[in-house]
Amino acid sequence: MTAVVETVASMPAVLTEQRTKAPIGRLLRAELRFMIRRPRTLIALGVLALTPIIAAVAMSVASSSDVGGPGGAAIQGVAALVTQNGMILPIFVLMLALAMLLPMLGSMWSADALAGEASTGGLRSLLLAPVGRARLLAVKAFGVAVLSLLAVTILAVVGVVAGLLILGGDGMLTMSGNTLPFWPSLGRVALLTVMVAVQVWAVAAVALAISACTEHPLVVLASTLGGIIVFTILGNIASLDWLHPFLLTTAWESLGDVARDPMPTDGLGTAVLRAACYIVIGYSLALARMSTKDG
Amino acid sequence: MTIEEEAPAASAAGAPARLAARTRNLRKVYGKTVAVDHVDLEVPVGAVLGMLGPNGSGKTTTIRMLLGLTTPTAGSVELLGHKMPEGAGWALPEVGALVEGPGFHPFLSGRENLLRVGAAEPRLSSRDIPRAVGAALERVGLSVAANRRYRGYSLGMKQRLGLAAALLIPRRLVVLDEPTNGLDPAGTREVRAVIADLHAAGTTVLVSSHLLAEVEATCTHVAVLHQGSVVAQGELTDLLEAGDAGLLVSTPDVTVAVDALRDNRIPAREAPGGVQVDLVASSAPDVVATLVRAGVAVHEVRRQRTGLEELFARLTQSSSSGPQLSEVDSFEESS
Repeated sequence: MTAVVETVASMPAVLTEQRTKAPIGRLLRAELRFMIRRPRTLIALGVLALTPIIAAVAMSVASSSDVGGPGGAAIQGVAALVTQNGMILPIFVLMLALAMLLPMLGSMWSADALAGEASTGGLRSLLLAPVGRARLLAVKAFGVAVLSLLAVTILAVVGVVAGLLILGGDGMLTMSGNTLPFWPSLGRVALLTVMVAVQVWAVAAVALAISACTEHPLVVLASTLGGIIVFTILGNIASLDWLHPFLLTTAWESLGDVARDPMPTDGLGTAVLRAACYIVIGYSLALARMSTKDG
Repeated sequence: MTIEEEAPAASAAGAPARLAARTRNLRKVYGKTVAVDHVDLEVPVGAVLGMLGPNGSGKTTTIRMLLGLTTPTAGSVELLGHKMPEGAGWALPEVGALVEGPGFHPFLSGRENLLRVGAAEPRLSSRDIPRAVGAALERVGLSVAANRRYRGYSLGMKQRLGLAAALLIPRRLVVLDEPTNGLDPAGTREVRAVIADLHAAGTTVLVSSHLLAEVEATCTHVAVLHQGSVVAQGELTDLLEAGDAGLLVSTPDVTVAVDALRDNRIPAREAPGGVQVDLVASSAPDVVATLVRAGVAVHEVRRQRTGLEELFARLTQSSSSGPQLSEVDSFEESS
């Protein structure tokens, strides 16, 4: 009996609270701090911030000679409007980055969140703390979502500043031919930022599901990016048009609609809806896997 | 016998208070490989239980199921009175664990790594985290290196940091999986001291190791795993006593002594310096009485202490070697 009474170990100086869960705010803050401290995150965000500047310089140089670049129809359409039209730069850059750079970053963070943590044993120490499995997934998903949003926002903000400073102009010459004043065009950039972030979240959600199934972050990265490439190819095969409504990537072209006036909203709505489906499916699969995953 | 023990323990509500952790008929199968089977492990409250076993004997798998990291294929786990893995939220805050090496991130310093672990610790209030981290670092002797990147830590320092994470707050149970891996002799001694401290404070400790000296020096209880099953468990002293059925008698009258003992059906044989007696069917006083009745001059009678190493070797060698030994004995006896 005495042994039972004595089981509470005496270690002075540390107060403890009778809780079964750490406060969620504290977990989320710790996760964000951890992700932002990662050298690869800092490098990725740095490269992202440079992209609009490089694009702006390249365009102001290229616009003097008239050399067309390769790229999708939407990207070329946007690029044609760039000269003396600074506010179109963030739109151009966001569309360009959505094709590969942003999905890569989103899936990189997803890959590190579960697969990477599993390979270092960090996941185990969180599960042992304990952080419940569903809660752990929520914390990880939150971290990936916030960093994805941060990445898109950096791209947009630097894009606006670089566009105005390097390419000049104070409004947006739309693809429909008229010019939007500064504030409405800034609103269009903000709208596209949110739209692109939602698409990156969709990619990251699927990547997180893959991430829950493996201990190798590179598998996640390779399969997600491979998937996007396959989707893009399938999306370009006309005879497979019945498949196109199910592909995430085919909705991306319509995001360029924010550079039209008046703005058609059908394509944007479809893109958001489709991304939402991918997000729900991705997180559901991730949750199903997490609940039985070995820590 | 095991069935008799099981029935009341499974129904009585008081049982969990006596045992800090218990597994019942635990089984884990990975694909076609049976990692662990029929494991009934009992960790008494306040004990320092050493889990012994060769590599691949299922020590870590058992610990992982105990902590809810892995779901058992069959069987049940109780940790501090809570069923696992469902009760993880209630049991684990009071459990400190170092399993399969420490899981930290190379780009953070030791302190930052622990702060991150501390943030996830339910029992720590937010303002106490830095203090708890400082105290834990001090305890494992890492204060000096606390602000260096984990990347630059030696294997031993990494292991210490893992230990610090397990000791971040006062615990009722501390589970250490191979805690002395990669530690120098000084570090090994420090781990022993930490375990002794925990034991003195009433904390239950479960420590797995394949280092026998380690277990013999620190543990009150032992469980021996072999090929996925528990082949022996109990108090260390009991197990050693059970293992050492032998007396060494110093006497000049060796032949007389051996004959006298064999006449009384006590297995005995010549050994350097005297006679070696097996206490299979008799007790030490019987042996001495027999010798004295036969007029043998007895200088000294010494109980033979088997080390844990011998016990372990016997338990984990192929099962055929046991009967063979006793066959040799009975053969000698009859000749």
